Amino acid sequence: MTMGGANRLGQGIEAMQGHALDAPNKRRKSPLRFGWWLIFWAGVLYFFLPLLGTFVYSMKSIPIFSAYIGVLQDPKFYGSLGYSFIVGMITIAVSIGLMVPTAFWVRLRMPRARPYVEFVTLMPFVIPPVVLVFGLISTYSHAPLPFTWTDTGSTALLVCGYVVLSFPYMYRAVDTGLRSMDVQSLTEAAQSLGAGWFRILFFVILPNLRVALLSGAFLTLAIVIGEFTMALFLARPAFGPYLANLGSTKPYEQAAVALISFALTWIAMGFIALLGRGSRSRATITGAH
Amino acid sequence: MSTTHRTVTRLAGLMVAGAFVFAACSGSGSTAKLSSSTSNMDDLIKAAKAEGGLTTIALPHNWCNYGEALAGFTAKYGIPINELNPDGSSAQEIDAIKANTTNPGPQNPDVIDVGLSFGPQAVTDKLITPYKVQTWADIPDKAKDKDGYWYGDYYGVMAFETNTAAVKNVPKVWADLLKPEYKGQVALSGDPTQSNQAISAVWAAALANGGSLDNVQPGLDFFKQLNDSGNFVPVIAKTATVSSGETPIRITWTYNGLADKDSLAGNPAVEVAVPTDGRFGGMYVQAISAYAPHPNAARLWMEYLYSDEGQLAWLKGYCNPIRFEAMKAANVIPPDVLAKLPDTVGAVLPTLDQITAASTAITAGWPTTVGATVK
Amino acid sequence: MPVNAQGAPMARPGRRRFNLTWLGLVPFLVFSTLFLLIPTFYLIVGSFRDSTGQFTLQNYAGLTNEIPLNAYKTSIEISLVTALAGGIFGFLMAYAVISAGPSRFRSGLMTFSGVASNFAGVPLALAFIFTIGRAGLLTGLLAGLGINPYDSGFSLYSKLGLEIVYFYFQLPLMILIIAPAIDGLKVEWREASENMGAQTWQFWRYVALPVLMPSLLGSMILLFGNAFGAQATAYQLTGGFINIVTILIGNQLTGDVLHNVGAGYALAMGMVGILTMTLIAYQFLQRRSERWLR
Repeated sequence: MTMGGANRLGQGIEAMQGHALDAPNKRRKSPLRFGWWLIFWAGVLYFFLPLLGTFVYSMKSIPIFSAYIGVLQDPKFYGSLGYSFIVGMITIAVSIGLMVPTAFWVRLRMPRARPYVEFVTLMPFVIPPVVLVFGLISTYSHAPLPFTWTDTGSTALLVCGYVVLSFPYMYRAVDTGLRSMDVQSLTEAAQSLGAGWFRILFFVILPNLRVALLSGAFLTLAIVIGEFTMALFLARPAFGPYLANLGSTKPYEQAAVALISFALTWIAMGFIALLGRGSRSRATITGAH
Repeated sequence: MSTTHRTVTRLAGLMVAGAFVFAACSGSGSTAKLSSSTSNMDDLIKAAKAEGGLTTIALPHNWCNYGEALAGFTAKYGIPINELNPDGSSAQEIDAIKANTTNPGPQNPDVIDVGLSFGPQAVTDKLITPYKVQTWADIPDKAKDKDGYWYGDYYGVMAFETNTAAVKNVPKVWADLLKPEYKGQVALSGDPTQSNQAISAVWAAALANGGSLDNVQPGLDFFKQLNDSGNFVPVIAKTATVSSGETPIRITWTYNGLADKDSLAGNPAVEVAVPTDGRFGGMYVQAISAYAPHPNAARLWMEYLYSDEGQLAWLKGYCNPIRFEAMKAANVIPPDVLAKLPDTVGAVLPTLDQITAASTAITAGWPTTVGATVK
Repeated sequence: MPVNAQGAPMARPGRRRFNLTWLGLVPFLVFSTLFLLIPTFYLIVGSFRDSTGQFTLQNYAGLTNEIPLNAYKTSIEISLVTALAGGIFGFLMAYAVISAGPSRFRSGLMTFSGVASNFAGVPLALAFIFTIGRAGLLTGLLAGLGINPYDSGFSLYSKLGLEIVYFYFQLPLMILIIAPAIDGLKVEWREASENMGAQTWQFWRYVALPVLMPSLLGSMILLFGNAFGAQATAYQLTGGFINIVTILIGNQLTGDVLHNVGAGYALAMGMVGILTMTLIAYQFLQRRSERWLR
């Protein structure tokens, strides 16, 4: 398997990290012709105009900038953003803990199960979130698994719901990452040195997946922070309901918050992309193809 | 492999143990027989404080000034309030009761504030429990259930909220909305197939155009005309769209319009006009959940809402509280608060049967008459 | 002890292998069952119940009424248009930056796409209202130049307007999905085709597009599904005046008036059916495209 192999849906994982997939596969360095520039800048224009419109609206507050100051002084802004961020981190951890062993196992030992596992991971695309949350609430608001009886339980249920929503992205990311390493040989080498499954996963596979995991994690975080329906129905103090709720009393602040969260998410993503770019180390076994 | 095997066994064991624990705890739903009225307020206050909390649902702080009522209750009795889903609809409140019947925790609402049509249905579905507050007699007969299951709390009247920075001439009657100067400026506050507020708007238009509480067709025709003339903007108007000038004329309840006026505080300036023709009032009702985890706190909350203090809080939020006439007669309303209330004389309130009939007619008629699919 | 093809001893005895390997999927299976399959099951069962809880086929019969049929038609139409538009422009944009552009733009494009693909709902709808609504920034600028789009019949509150707004998250999603495929277009192929005297359009027609086609189609199918499931954005923008399936579902599940949960579930089942078919098509195309990736 060459390094050029990449899964179609890989959510641009390696694309996000911006590295060419192997040394000889140089990008074609032709001078950018006018046509491509035009397309690029048209795209940029389309994306920035609505943000500009929001910005101009948010500046209509009197005095100017008071919307932003108001937001940055609102404890609920930090509270809800913090809550969503923490829930996002837990979701990422659970998702990785679930997906890495699963994708690893499928790739290693059960390749024929792959289409079925993949189908299950794609199912969240097919079910509308409002239906999903209705089902979760109806199932888990009474014995034997009454998640919604406590605040912690409700948050746990929300995390599980978000992990489900992250299935398509996380599984794809891990699968793509595994594809570009020789899982079989690595595993056998580790086993021949006496490693058990846990060590293999934790010390051999996981480090090589760092790049892929970072992108999957990032997309999951973006989903969690932007999510609204499930948090609302589970009555959780998350960012989505907070943002929606602002509109009825503080419309200028709502526009400000939308922009601030957009910017924060983008910066964080860029930061992680930067982190990921540093790690190219990948265990290879000399002689393995 | 043995690691996974161990994990599976552990997981299964945890699930079984957890199931036992939760099953044991599930008996904590309230089964005590509680009175349907209170002769002794002190006992009620003590019992409510002992419960230690109250859970409400779908009470936005700037809707009828609920913010003040909630804060006032906590300040007076020291009982913290857990607020669920502030933007929820009446249907969501009912769903929350249904989904949480055995839930002793914070997701289970104690009290609900829903549209009138939801009251009787909740009685049939056995979701609410009767209670008559101490000021029961002040509530008009047709605004309450005779057994005390549900009781009207406040009403508002359909009005026009106008952004006066974008629109110079404020519309004063329904016919004004058809004027060509308002092209692309008039919007509803909801979807008539989904929202009680939007249905009420169509109904109010009917009253102004030859219809009645039993005949809503003129209202549908009016909106068809409004749409055809190009004055109607098919978007849900909110505070943001009013202030940005996108929907400078919004048809909404008086209290929503006036709340917007306060929160926008002149940026831009907003004026609320109750049309002189076609005044339609919409009433909401309170009820206590039959599965309330804090039944005494729920009763105390009702007592608070129907006391002068609670009713005045609503009045300050520009809602007409249900005990308005009795309070005016007893001279307990401060004149400055009274002055801020919009003139709603002549507003008609429908009965339950009329609401059911009209809702059906409007939700069915809207897509066909007004032609919902805008190309 | 059994040996593998190279003659080295295998890590596990062959006979017990089947049972044990299956266990490795248990955590995933348990989790999916608890939090994905059970709600789905609940959905299926609920679609056969009426408001009193009795079994009924009425909900499904109701799907053939005019309003639901129109809603499915509209949903499919909007999803198709935005999938195609997002697919084509997303591909062009991704290619422009990845293959033909300076590499430093790539990271910015990818991270931005990550954020923009999740920017939806109230903030997105409002952003477009503020920009190209009747009182929008761009509208005002254009009107100042003398051309008011609303005078010539354009409206943000139309199917076209909704499609323009959906484009905002469809385009980045396409960029994210197609980028690895563009990376997979080896430089050597381009050079080889040039060596043989092919022009650019011939390269595209005979080499690049055939290779990319399964990925392009597969990605567009995903975009279709993504658009179909969008609800919050459409509701904020059109307020139910344009009926799409997800808004109808919301009406039944959470609306004040209709509130027939079973009917909502039946509508959702229709949606699940349509989207499952697209998923199967997607997986089929995935297998095809993987041939080129080795």
